[in-house]
Amino acid sequence: MPERLANRLKDRRSELGLTQAELAERVGVTRKTVNTVENGVFTPSATLAIKLALALGLSVEQLFWIER
Amino acid sequence: MGYTKGRVMNERTTSERADYLSRRRARILPVLAIIYLTQQASYITIRSGTVERAVDQVKISAWLVLSTVLLAALATKGFWLQPLEVRSMIDDEVTRSNRNDSMRFGFIFAMLTCIVIYFITMFKVVDGRDAVHIVMSDGLGAALIRWGWLERRAHRDA
Repeated sequence: MPERLANRLKDRRSELGLTQAELAERVGVTRKTVNTVENGVFTPSATLAIKLALALGLSVEQLFWIER
Repeated sequence: MGYTKGRVMNERTTSERADYLSRRRARILPVLAIIYLTQQASYITIRSGTVERAVDQVKISAWLVLSTVLLAALATKGFWLQPLEVRSMIDDEVTRSNRNDSMRFGFIFAMLTCIVIYFITMFKVVDGRDAVHIVMSDGLGAALIRWGWLERRAHRDA
């Protein structure tokens, strides 16, 4: 069974009332990057995962987890 | 009111500007790949003719220039006339990953083309220039199509 990095990026972003573009602006990436991470199309680097967690006020473990 | 496109662009944040340019590139890449690959038809026509005219040399040179530009676009951040901060943001993690993936794809495609050409040379003489032309066009064309597809997928909402 392949492992997959799941996330609650979309839920948390909606809780904070942020758009993908606003989150992208905070993190310093394009909206495309936020979109692909949210959709699970792209697995972010540790650096980007930490930046996203900081921007959303969560720990990396709360934002991302491994799904089997 | 009365805003020019350039003015609107200046008022965008770096992230918005990078996103706009990235979307535009995603739309243009497949078109560029088609133009590049259809150019091969004129090369084949020229090479099948008995005499190469000066105009044919110009066409082949145009192909070489376009190949160089496309290779540079693939291998670098591209958007050479944009400010550095916009260029760096366009070339963020996802873009770098897509770019690397497409270059790997192009390389594999070029190598497979080499194998096919090598096989053909067992039965037929293939001119060195023709072989280089085919390998380069196949590799670059495949990489461009792959990059375009990956970029469009990245921009698509869930």
